[in-house]
Amino acid sequence: MIPAPRPRARIRLRPTPGGVAGWLYLAWCAVFVAAPILVVCASALNGGRSMLFPPQDPTLDRFVEFFVTDEVWTRALRLSAIIAVSSAALATALAWPVAYGLWRGASRLSKALGAGLAMPFALPPIVFGVGLGFLWVFAGLIGTVEAAILSHAALHAALPLATISIGLQSVERAHLDAAATLGATERVIFRTIILPQTIPYTASGFFFALVLSFNEFIVTFFVSASAYSTVTLQIFNSLRNGFTPTMAVGAIAFILTSVLAFGLVARFGDLPRLMGADPARR
Amino acid sequence: MSTPPHAPAPAQARAQARAAAQQADRADPGAGAAGADLSAPRGRPGATGAPVDARPGAPSRGLRFVHAQYALALVVAGLCLSPFALVFAISLGEVEAGAAWNWGVSAANYARVFVGLDWPESASFVYMRKLGWSLAYAALGAVIAVAFAFPFAWAMTRRSRRAQTVWLVFLLSSLSLSEVFVVMGWDVLLSNRSGLPMAFRETGLTDWLKAVGWFDVLREIGLATPRNVRFKPSVFATVLTLSYLVFPYAVILLYPALSRLDPAMMEAARTMGARPFTVIRTVALPACRLPIAGAALLLFVYLLGAYVAVTVFADPSRQTLTITIYESVRGATLNAPFGAAQAMVLLVTAVACLGASLALAKRAERRS
Repeated sequence: MIPAPRPRARIRLRPTPGGVAGWLYLAWCAVFVAAPILVVCASALNGGRSMLFPPQDPTLDRFVEFFVTDEVWTRALRLSAIIAVSSAALATALAWPVAYGLWRGASRLSKALGAGLAMPFALPPIVFGVGLGFLWVFAGLIGTVEAAILSHAALHAALPLATISIGLQSVERAHLDAAATLGATERVIFRTIILPQTIPYTASGFFFALVLSFNEFIVTFFVSASAYSTVTLQIFNSLRNGFTPTMAVGAIAFILTSVLAFGLVARFGDLPRLMGADPARR
Repeated sequence: MSTPPHAPAPAQARAQARAAAQQADRADPGAGAAGADLSAPRGRPGATGAPVDARPGAPSRGLRFVHAQYALALVVAGLCLSPFALVFAISLGEVEAGAAWNWGVSAANYARVFVGLDWPESASFVYMRKLGWSLAYAALGAVIAVAFAFPFAWAMTRRSRRAQTVWLVFLLSSLSLSEVFVVMGWDVLLSNRSGLPMAFRETGLTDWLKAVGWFDVLREIGLATPRNVRFKPSVFATVLTLSYLVFPYAVILLYPALSRLDPAMMEAARTMGARPFTVIRTVALPACRLPIAGAALLLFVYLLGAYVAVTVFADPSRQTLTITIYESVRGATLNAPFGAAQAMVLLVTAVACLGASLALAKRAERRS
């Protein structure tokens, strides 16, 4: 006789282990992920020059130093911001026509463009950094801000390429058909249907590129010169003398930027969808 | 279970309504464009499912778009591909006195990476050993991260869409955090003066470890000095930081596969009386075998290029190829062609692994 399945008290709609164990594990991982970040943030309060945890005679002087008074850090922060914003804009501008070409009809040229644009992001950045270093030496641009912007744009264009492609796939086909039968030209369709519907995805891609560029280290390391440095570079350069609480302020500023940027993406875009969740399921 | 309406939906709907309204405004049944549509060349039927037929591309515009694409190809080639080509070309060159180097076509730099400078008299595997450490750190870091990320991604995808969004913001913020800051955090946590070793001493954990005899084991594997535990430099600290670096990546790579798992399968398993853990082990894990392998490979490739964590946490005798690449290209030894050759070796390793992960992804797609 076939044994009857054990009767369950109740069958939930989602009969999956979402219970206590799942929550505990999520919380445990969250602590693990947050621990070093919190430690850095707390170290920023140190009164002295060394990174102690827990902080000694807590003060907020380091924040003033980082954002206002210390020339080294304010310049580095300004440069980081300039590079991040311009390279993200450039990356998005590069990615749009490539994504559009891929969506419009995957010709061999479009596919090659997509693969070429995605390649720097997929391979170890140190190799790309070494190559860019050589490239900018030949172009006579090594150590300039322009070189850093172009390098970051090339490195991160894969991100807007991905988000914009997802956005284009979500454009309602019925709208395109309707527009076409009503006689709209490709330009009009683009402006009135495709562009408005993909704006959240474009913005998401921009923010992804912005945050990653802000935090980029290794490629900047290879294309920079001693004349300037970004925040991440400055922190690495100070590594030999040990970390100081002022750098920890930098870490706080960077984390807040990321949370803000991704929070915006989550608020105005569909983050689960962007990350590959099933669009049909809510 | 009631999922709150997702935030962007109203915005999307608004945009769509606006587009539809504008479209209606523009409706002009008498325009010739509709007729032109019929004679317009049909693009290739989109392999990506692109609605080619819906577009009334007049030939001149299509042609212009192709021209623009050629211009774009130049930019992409110059910015994205030429650096790799340059690395390859320079790796064949020869170094001169000082930092200067000449173009060339010699494999001497590669020979030096693989068997040392004095080949064939004697072979030295200094750089091969460094490559070995690169591979070992990357493999350990990737596997550990994926092992911890799978249950995390599983538990996360069981939440509501809104809770998932919050977790994603958290993960993305930690993921994008610069390697520099991550290393800084762990450096504070693991440093001898504060952080964990201090906590070990203050809480009496060190004394307890000494009492039960585990302290000697820690000393043997280099994680303790005679007085207290010591975590850096060590392989442990390096691997810990590397897996920390890619843990959020691992979750995000596994997220699509897990969130698309058919709930019916799990429901079936549960109604048949399988315990939650059994469901994970016998349903979710096998279904995600290929994504898991693919994610591990991708993270492995990413970790091959890790630099900061290795400089700070690894013992000099156990450092990786990335360190010597930097030394050769911009650091103390200044031998650009040799650095380029090392970079090429790393690149080829990475490309091979990426190829493998792409093949896995294709297989997964075909199967589903």
